[in-house]
Amino acid sequence: MSDQAYLSLEKLTLAYGDSVAVADLDLDIRRGELIALLGPSGCGKTTTMRAIAGLLPVRSGHVRLDGADITHVSPNKRAVGLVFQSYALFPHLSVYENVAFGLRLKGLRGTELDAKVQSGIKSVGLSSFANRRPAELSGGQQQRVALARSMVMEPKVLLLDEPLSNLDARLRLEMRTELQRVQKETGVTMIFVTHDQAEALALADRIVVMKRGAIEQIGSPQDIYNRPQSSFVADFVGFENVFALEGGKLKAAGSLFELQGEAPSAAGLAWRPRMVSLGTGPFRGTVRGTSFAGDHREYLLDTPLGLIKAEVEASQPVHDLGTELAFDLPAHKAVPLSQFS
Amino acid sequence: MMPNSLGRNLFIPLTLFLVIAFLIGPFLIIVAASFSAGDTLAFPPQGFSLRWIAKVFTVESFRASFGMSLFLAIGGTAAALVLGIPASYALSRYKLPGAEVIRTVVSAPIIVPGIIVGLALLRYIVVPFGVGISLALFLAHTALVLPYAVRVVSASLDNLRSDIEEAAVLLGSSRTGAFFRVVLPNIRGGILSAFILGFVTSFNQVPVSLFLSGPGVRTLPIDMIAYMEIVFDPSVAALSALLAFLSIGIVFAAERFLGFSRYV
Amino acid sequence: MFQNRAEALALALPAAIFAAAVFLVPVLILLSDGFRNPVVDGVGGGWTLSAFTDFFSSSLNQTVFLRTLRLGAIVTVVSAVIGYAAAFAIVSLDPVAKGRVTGLVVLPLMISPVARTYAWIVILGRTGIVNQAFQALGITQAPLRILFSETAIFIGLLQLFLPLMIISLISALENMPKDAIPAARVLGANWFQVFWKVVLPLTREGLVIGGTLVFTGSLTAYITPAILGGSKVLMLETLMYQQVAVSSNFVAASVIAFILIVMSFAANILLKRVATARNKVRAAA
Repeated sequence: MSDQAYLSLEKLTLAYGDSVAVADLDLDIRRGELIALLGPSGCGKTTTMRAIAGLLPVRSGHVRLDGADITHVSPNKRAVGLVFQSYALFPHLSVYENVAFGLRLKGLRGTELDAKVQSGIKSVGLSSFANRRPAELSGGQQQRVALARSMVMEPKVLLLDEPLSNLDARLRLEMRTELQRVQKETGVTMIFVTHDQAEALALADRIVVMKRGAIEQIGSPQDIYNRPQSSFVADFVGFENVFALEGGKLKAAGSLFELQGEAPSAAGLAWRPRMVSLGTGPFRGTVRGTSFAGDHREYLLDTPLGLIKAEVEASQPVHDLGTELAFDLPAHKAVPLSQFS
Repeated sequence: MMPNSLGRNLFIPLTLFLVIAFLIGPFLIIVAASFSAGDTLAFPPQGFSLRWIAKVFTVESFRASFGMSLFLAIGGTAAALVLGIPASYALSRYKLPGAEVIRTVVSAPIIVPGIIVGLALLRYIVVPFGVGISLALFLAHTALVLPYAVRVVSASLDNLRSDIEEAAVLLGSSRTGAFFRVVLPNIRGGILSAFILGFVTSFNQVPVSLFLSGPGVRTLPIDMIAYMEIVFDPSVAALSALLAFLSIGIVFAAERFLGFSRYV
Repeated sequence: MFQNRAEALALALPAAIFAAAVFLVPVLILLSDGFRNPVVDGVGGGWTLSAFTDFFSSSLNQTVFLRTLRLGAIVTVVSAVIGYAAAFAIVSLDPVAKGRVTGLVVLPLMISPVARTYAWIVILGRTGIVNQAFQALGITQAPLRILFSETAIFIGLLQLFLPLMIISLISALENMPKDAIPAARVLGANWFQVFWKVVLPLTREGLVIGGTLVFTGSLTAYITPAILGGSKVLMLETLMYQQVAVSSNFVAASVIAFILIVMSFAANILLKRVATARNKVRAAA
């Protein structure tokens, strides 16, 4: 993998009318990477994706792809594929004709066209459905047609909008595998947009977490999951207990709390529920809620620091509602955050 | 809605029979009367003959005005669609300033009584600009059908996802190409339905054409009214019956093959 | 959603300009004529209400105006009463029968109003079916004069517009919560109360839509009063035609046009307000 950027966004600013959706965004993506744009709705991830596709005019900044500035290249000449969240199959055309659509526009005819279409349909396992209309297919099948339709065009970049969100759990796993296979076989650069951290962690080489039109953190799934840099990302990837740090002390509910052990110097600290130790420690809280979750049990504690979420192994004795418990937020387990908001 | 099942058992068929008899009966009487052998319009018909039905085809003015009405219904509706399809497309796919104003202006002809439209056209288009009656009728019928065209085509555009156009563009199509390749084929049913609705509306329209008639230029319904005032024979009944069957046939076929009622 | 404004205008403006030029502008000029002093030999002009006061000072015009309002109102009320009965009967049918009967109700809408109105001449005329039946049964000796009367116009208008009311009420009844009627019955309401307290409020919107269509339709129908009312029993539309065709009184025609439009718009707005007032109550609850 070369270090040189294949797709780069430089100082990209995007807006709908007067409202700026994405401001001064910089992002470099290497050839063949599988990138996830992760964030809650309204964070600008879909807007960014649409700008890469050319469906949204760029207010300022540049989009470069494979050495060329494509900022003002119209979307039909960009060699960028997009699998829409709704799949956007052409309802009046068969699976075959949907897949052939772009190839025909490229001027392909006869056996060359047929061979490409057939192999495209075959690669997503829908050969026996070639003459069906989209309405006669399941959601998962429709999505695979959409994938084949984009892939036969041999795009430089393939964009996917929430590719797994409309599928049920079983199909999700299937599609995830399918996408990884396609990426491995073709080496296409893929960017997918999602609001689901689990999806991003499972699928992506690198995750770009976005918040309010700006990038919050870029990193490998391990980085994002284990070392979130900001309270926003920490919260997003499941750190339920996030606190600001002031002079080495936790700041919570308007007061400062001393930690046992030496606190790292950072803007904030974050603990996952299972990092909280229950039973011993300097803090006390009352059990407000508890729920059994298979191999572990979750507790919600009412404490002077606010609500604390903790998780212990299910084999441990159960604490009843209303019980007062000692607990600790161990400093050595805390993940330091450089940004707290 | 009835207190007991006996009442219910009587109420439903009786109500339906009376209502349908009231709505359809007169039409059946017209049909029967047009087979009369007698010289005046009467029911029950005096004898049986096809002479009045045959006569319809020999009345010169009927033939001319039928041609006129057909021209207006087909040409006016086609013109309304040529104007209405792009307008509907703009209204449904673009963020357009003043969209509501435009929508109101193109739908307005449906609200204003036809007789007013006809008179306004006569006085402020035909007279000052020396526009011919045929052209004025054509303009009037186009304006009259435009609201239907916009309404029906808009409805079928709103039922069509707009991202298929983006998909087409990303697969290499131009914007215009995307419209013709993926939008038009998918709203064909809506356009045909709009055409049929416009055709029937225009063909049956009277008040708009009331003041817009000149020597030899008249729509068929106006001609029928004029004929009735002079001659009271069953030929108008025969013509009415024929036209009704024509309309019903077209609408029935449209429902059968297009699912017309989905769009209207 | 595309954002290119110029493109959108290029697509939408031809239709808008056409409708404005062929329809809106001429109609607005025509309406304004009713408020102008006629220009005679270059003298006159200016704004005035005299045409309106002239119009309403004529007792003939008053009669026609009131008749138009009266017929509109009666046709609307009667079609609502019959419409509820018919709509109830239709929604209680099984789906196949419902489709067929609805088709029969809609069918007349496809038939030329000229043909539909014309049929009533055969039925209501001096030697028509009604008179034949009445005389045969000995109810009347001489033929009744039904044609060219308000009754004839009423019958014609009712037949013309009843389908619109029935269709509106069918969809209103179908959108009504299915258990509303049984629930009210279980709570002890009699059938009259069920209709008044449950069905009517829940179908009010459909009634308003149907009512608007029937009322404005009756107000602005031309063929029915022209054929069934003749030249003596006039409604506003036929009066307007006479003013132009017989008297060449264009100012009076403009006045009538204005009145007709105001009445249609007022009916639209009034009835819409009735419907939304109810929605607000529902939203607040």
